[in-house]
Parts: sequence; structure tokens; C-alpha cells
Amino acid sequence: MLGAILVKITFAAAIAATILYVLQHRKASDDILRLARLFYFGSVAGILSVAGLLLYYILTHQFHYYYVWSYSSTDLPLSLLISTLYAGQEGSFLLWALFTGIIGVFLLQYSSKKGYEPELMSIYTGIFTMLILMLVVKNPFKFIWEQFPDELLKVGLAPTDGTNFMWVDQARGLWAQIPVEGKGLNALLQNYWMVIHPPILFIGFTSMSIPFAYAVAGLLKRDYVSWIRIATPWTAFGSLALGTGIILGGYWAYETLGWGGYWGWDPVENSSLVPWLVCVASIHTMLAQRKNGSYIKTNFILSMFCFILVLYSTFLTRSGVLGETSVHSFVDPGMWVYWLLLMVIGIFVAIGFGLLAKRWKDIPVVPVEHSFISREFALFLGASALVFASVFILIGTSSPIITNILKGKTSAVDPAFYVTTTLPLGVAIALLSGLGQILWWKNSKSDALLKQLTVPAILALIFTVVTFFFGATHVSMIIFIFASAFALFTNILVGYRIIQGNPKMAGGAITHVGIALMFLGFVSSAKYDDVKTVNLEQGKEVDALGYKLKYVGYQPMERGRFAFNVEVEKDGEKFIVSPVMFKESENGSLIRNPDIVNLFTKDFYVSPLSLEAGEQQQSANEITIGEMEPLDIAGMSIRYLGYEFTQSKEKGNYLIAKLEVSKNGKKEIVKPTMSNMTGDITFEPAKHSSGISFTIKAMNPTKEKAQSSITLTVDGIHAHSDVKESKMDTLVVEASVKPFINLVWIGTFSLIIGFLITIYRRAQEALRNEAWKQ
Amino acid sequence: MNAKIISGMVIIVAALIFGAMTFIDSNVEYTDFAKAQAVAKKVQVKGKWIAEKETRFDASTTQFTFYMVDDNNKECKVVLDGGKPNNFEIATEIVAKGRFKDGYFHANEVLTKCPSKYEGDGTAVKKSL
Repeated sequence: MLGAILVKITFAAAIAATILYVLQHRKASDDILRLARLFYFGSVAGILSVAGLLLYYILTHQFHYYYVWSYSSTDLPLSLLISTLYAGQEGSFLLWALFTGIIGVFLLQYSSKKGYEPELMSIYTGIFTMLILMLVVKNPFKFIWEQFPDELLKVGLAPTDGTNFMWVDQARGLWAQIPVEGKGLNALLQNYWMVIHPPILFIGFTSMSIPFAYAVAGLLKRDYVSWIRIATPWTAFGSLALGTGIILGGYWAYETLGWGGYWGWDPVENSSLVPWLVCVASIHTMLAQRKNGSYIKTNFILSMFCFILVLYSTFLTRSGVLGETSVHSFVDPGMWVYWLLLMVIGIFVAIGFGLLAKRWKDIPVVPVEHSFISREFALFLGASALVFASVFILIGTSSPIITNILKGKTSAVDPAFYVTTTLPLGVAIALLSGLGQILWWKNSKSDALLKQLTVPAILALIFTVVTFFFGATHVSMIIFIFASAFALFTNILVGYRIIQGNPKMAGGAITHVGIALMFLGFVSSAKYDDVKTVNLEQGKEVDALGYKLKYVGYQPMERGRFAFNVEVEKDGEKFIVSPVMFKESENGSLIRNPDIVNLFTKDFYVSPLSLEAGEQQQSANEITIGEMEPLDIAGMSIRYLGYEFTQSKEKGNYLIAKLEVSKNGKKEIVKPTMSNMTGDITFEPAKHSSGISFTIKAMNPTKEKAQSSITLTVDGIHAHSDVKESKMDTLVVEASVKPFINLVWIGTFSLIIGFLITIYRRAQEALRNEAWKQ
Repeated sequence: MNAKIISGMVIIVAALIFGAMTFIDSNVEYTDFAKAQAVAKKVQVKGKWIAEKETRFDASTTQFTFYMVDDNNKECKVVLDGGKPNNFEIATEIVAKGRFKDGYFHANEVLTKCPSKYEGDGTAVKKSL
């Protein structure tokens, strides 16, 4: 009850702030401004307490809330427990709204210094209000019995047998049985990436609304020129946050989800890439406008699209329209959310583009006064290439909707579509990001340009020839490698000169070095990777892709997971990779996580496919006991009671198996253990009072926990001599070599640093220049 | 009209035609097994896994074989390159992408749709009481 009321109060405060800011824009008054701020801060406090309350319910396991029950459970570690706050749809809208509220506090301070507060904040709080509206509609504080009335609601006397229950309406004798455990977090999401990736992505989503808000505010104020100077640091910040979020998502997919790569052209990935590309394009046209005053309308349109495309992407991934064409497939949220999202897109398109149309004739037209050989034109072409790329990706991602309208049947495009369409644009972007750095503003003299071009072009040529002899022989790749290498060398040379002069100006060059490195990394790791499926019979060495692989066995990990250790040997160097497979306890589906050997020039990537059980002939002193299935041997009855998993500093991870041994009517508990310290597994036998000792040989990971079994070696009883040859388990893995994938990560790093320098420079510039203050 | 605008228009139109052609070319149509058999093109078929029939992973060919029934109740053997897809047993619906070949559907990708992604799952709440 409290939560739902808080959401509604927050919603009301945000509406009030929006209306007050609109009034302030119409007719400025100190009282109204003060009140508008008060309501805005009130709504931020509101959303903070909503998030805090939900988090409190999650941490205290209050499963009578449907959301808490749906996404969390008592066995999750604290960090993952916190992450369930945004694991579901309601929660992710909450996180988005929360960031919007918090970032708005800074935006408010900043814009008030620039005399932009009423206009900017009226749009921004409008966006904030819409996000809270999503929470009003999809209430995260719904009680579980509202979701499952048939299963949970009961009338009559309260249960006295210890059943977990709650009164719904005590006067009418209505009570609900409450689950004692939650459904838990999807096992695929249970790793630290879940803690890092979504928050950064949502900061990016939030930031995309800022260029939109500034563009509309500029139109409201009839300020068609200087708004871009105020908006630039925020636009750059948005590109940084969203870009980082996208890359982290890619790394997550690569490192733990085992997609085999960092990018799958999946609708969810694409739909955050599209606004990012547009935002990056707008950074370039804003730069051109700063220099020569043209591209005014272009900047309005691009800045607005940054946010509209985020909304559209939300619609694509949250409304269920993509159906089964996505790996991510979100919850089908019902018609309410579908129409609400469409309505929100409609409202902001109407506000943004409606106002732009109204002001269109009023906006000054600065004729484009530069030659084809100028930096402005390179910026414009680069931005165009980015926009074209975003249009192609948008069309591809929307293909289920497009084909549904055109043919009445939904179908998706093959990932090859994206590669084919974006590759030529990637070449153009690479060439332009090199050229743009050596061209002069307005006009370049061709002889001076030629001189500047020579060195990087020759270096790029040499680079391309070298890669050709290393096997990069596809024509399209030769062109792409040349273009990327050209971009790399030009930006290194230019960047080096700039850093010697004024390092603050080097943001662009460093960012472009990053892009060029990433492009080269894409080619080497995605086009020239080697993939092979390998069968690894335990203990036998297998040659694959120039590596020697040997499956040496598995070891149990926390939360019922099992790591499968594979020895990888190359040129005398040995590594152990431990990909993970386990059955999800909820519904028994198999979850697989890859493991990677990071080498300087390549990654060796091992993704587990399955474990084929061997046909083990049991020798007489080797026994396998299932849980709850007693076994009689040598006059004893042995029951396997399960195992405990613990950690200690001295022993590392270790596992204690519990056996109940009955002999002559006397019961005794025996606890053999297995532990792994520094990767080596050691087994410690446990002795029964009769002198017979038990050693763990293996835990059986392929069965569900309830039916798990254990294999033990029993010493001290008479062993038979007819031990038969046994076939060992076979681990099937997909092994791949990804050459120079480090280029992608180094490039990302360089890109982030470049963006940070740019943000710092533009923010300092925007804050220092008081000339725009009214 | 000046040269700049015309050349700009030409580039835009050319790009759109290029995009549209690639789009049509790489569109993977949703269809059923009967149609998939008729066309040699890469298609995707939606349906359900037949749990009672042979379902196995062959380690020597590294292919996963199972039987699937499409929305028109036509059964078909599906051979997937690779291991068993995630969430396979619990999927309420599966989508196989690939083409028909020698009497079976040769898939290079299988997507699974999980029941946990739908709301109102009454059995799950009963389990957790």
C-alpha cells in the first residue's frame, strides 16, 4: 500500500513541477520558480524513497510483493539481491526514472546558470513524469495475491500449523498464503555484470533525453544557436554513458553468456546502438555549427532523435512486438504498456517536431560556405554516414513490424543484413575520421593536404600489406583494414601533435584512435576467428586449432554450479580454463558459461556444449549412491545425505559430503571432503569407526540437485580383482581463437578516455563563458 | 537545383535502394514445415518440441537432434549445428532457423521462449509456498 501511494505522490509532484515550469516559461516569477524547484526536489525525494522502499522489501525478502517474489530469492548474495531491483520490467523503469530524477538535480543547477531552467526543466520534468507514469501503470508494489487470487486467497480461520500467511481483510476473514521463497533471479543474469551493466546503460538512456530537452528549450526560447554550446557537454556525456553501457553489454555476452562473440546484432543490442549513433552524429554536426553557423536545423533534428529513438527502442524491446525474434525476449507486458509507450512516443514527437515545424521559418538559414575539401564537409559526411548506419540498423531491427505491415507475417532479417549494410559505411566513417583531422576549416589547400596525407597513407598501406600476408585477403576486408589503419595513423600523428600543444584538445583524436582500433579488432576477432567443436574424453589430450586440450575433471562451485577444468597447452605454456555448466534449480534448464584464456595477441575461448556421461564400470570398492537411496555394502548400509559447500582461507573452496553409515544397528555420520586450493583438487578421506575409509571420487553434476549422487572409493574392505576398463566422461566444447580481440577492448578504453577529455573541455568552456547568461 | 543537392539526393536514393535490396535478400521468413520443404531458402519455423521423441546430442557430429511439431501439427526432425539450446526443456515455444535438407530441417540456430517470461504462472507460486 505504502509503495503504491508513494509512486502516486511522486507522480503528482512531477506533474506539478512540469506545470509550474511551463508557467514560469510563460510568465517568469520568483515564487513560481521556487515552487517549481520545490516540487521537482519533492519528486526526486519521492522516486528515491520508492526505490529505497522496494530495495528494502527485496533485502528483507517480503515475498508478499509480487515483484520481490518474481525476481529475488533468499539464496542470492547481497550484490545480486540489490540488482534484482531492476531485474524486471517495473524495476528497470524505476531505475530509469531514478537516474532521470538524480541527473535532473545537476541539470537544474547547470541550466539555471545558463538562464535555461524554466524551458529545459519543463521538458525534462515532462519526461520524468512519463517515466513515473509507467510505474503508476505497472506498479512494482503489487501484492502477490492480486496476481494469484485462485492459488493464494483463502477465507476462514487463520492457519495455526505454521503456514506463512497474511491477513488481506481480517474483518471478512480473508487471508492469503505467502510464499516462503522467491522465484529467484534468472540464472543467466546471476553474475557481476548484472550489477554493473544495466545501471550504466540506464544512465545512458537518461542522458539521451538531455539533448532533446535542450533542443526543445532552444526552440521555446527562440535561441537557435547558442543552445548547442550548453548542450554539447551533456551530449558527449550521453554518448559516453550509452556507449560504455553498450560495450559492457557486449563484453557480458562474450565473457559469460557464451554467445561466442561480443555482438550478435540482437534487437536489444541494436536498439541501444541506434540512438548512440545518432547522438554521435549530432556531436559532429554541432561541432560544424560552432565553427561556421550552418547545420542549425540538422542539429535540432538529430538532438531530438536521440531521445525519440531511445523511446522507440524501449517500445521495440518492452512491448512484445518483436515476439520470438529476440534472444532477450522480454515479458509480454500487456496492452496497457504497449499503448502507453506508443502514446509517450507520440507526445514527445508532437512536442519536439511540432514545435520545430512551427519555428521552421523563423530559424535562420546560414548557407553552407565551405568547399568540398574542408573539415566541416568531412564532419557533415561523417555524421551522414553515422545516420545512414543508424537508419539501416533501425530498419533491420524493425523488420518484424515492417514485414507484419507489408505482408501480414512477422519475420526478422538475418544478421548478415547488418554486416552488408554497415560495412561500406564503416569504411566511409574510418576514412573520414582520418581525413577530418588533417583538413582545415573552410577550405584546405590541396598541396598542404597531400603533404599531410602521405605519411599516414603510406603507413596504412604497409599495414594492409602485412595483414594481407597474415591472411586478411577478402577484398572488402582489405578496404576496411586500409581505411581503419589510415584513421589510426592519422589520428595518432595528429593526436601526438595536439598533446604536445594543448592536451585538453586531444579528446577527438584519442576517441578516433579508439574507433580505429575497435574497427581493426572487429575484423580480426570476428572475421578471422577460428571455431571448432571438440570432444574431450577425460584424461585424453586432443589437438585443436594448434592447441592441446585435455579435460581433467570437474569441481563443484557455489550455488550448485560445476566448473569443468580443461588444460590448454601451447608452446610449452599451460593454462587451465574452467567453463561452467549447471542446471538451473527452478526448471532444470542447462546454463553454460564459457571461459577464456586472455593472451596478448588473441583470446582462446572455450564454450561448453555438453557433458556426455561415460559408461563407468564400477569396481567393487567404488560405489555410487544417490541421495535418499541407501546402499548395502560389506554388511553396512550407507545413505548419502547431501553435501555442504563452504569456503575457508586455508582450504579454499571445499565441499563436505555427509554419509550415514549403519552397521549392526549403530548409526554413524562420516564426512569425506574435497577441496580445491589454487586449482588442484584434493580429496580427504573420512574413516568409519570400523576402520573402513571413504574418499570422494566424484560428485555427479549432471542430475538435478534433489537426485544428485556421489561416487566414493571405499578402502578397507576386500576388493574384487575383476575391475573392468571404463569409458570416461566426454566434455564437448566449442573452442575458438579470436585474434587481436584485445584491440576491441583497448579501443574502447581509448574511446572512453577521449570522451572524458572532450566532456571536461566542453563543460569547462560552457561553464566559463558567462556571455550566454541572460 | 544546384549540384550539391542533386548529388546528395543521388547518394540517398542509392543508399535506400541498396538497403532495401539487402533487406529483401536477408529477410528470414516465418513459415511452417510444409512450406519450408517447398522452398530451399533459409526460413524460420515456430513450434513445439516433442519430448517423447528422440532427443539427443551426437558428440561425434556435434549436432543436436530433436523432433518438433509446427503450428499446423506437422512433425519434423530437426538437426541443429551445436549443442542443446539454453532453456530447451522448459521452452513453451521454439523457433528453428535454417533450411530443409534431405528429409529433415537443418537448423543453424534455435531460439527458445521461456514460460518464466510470461506472467500469471500459477504453478510456480504453488511450488514456492
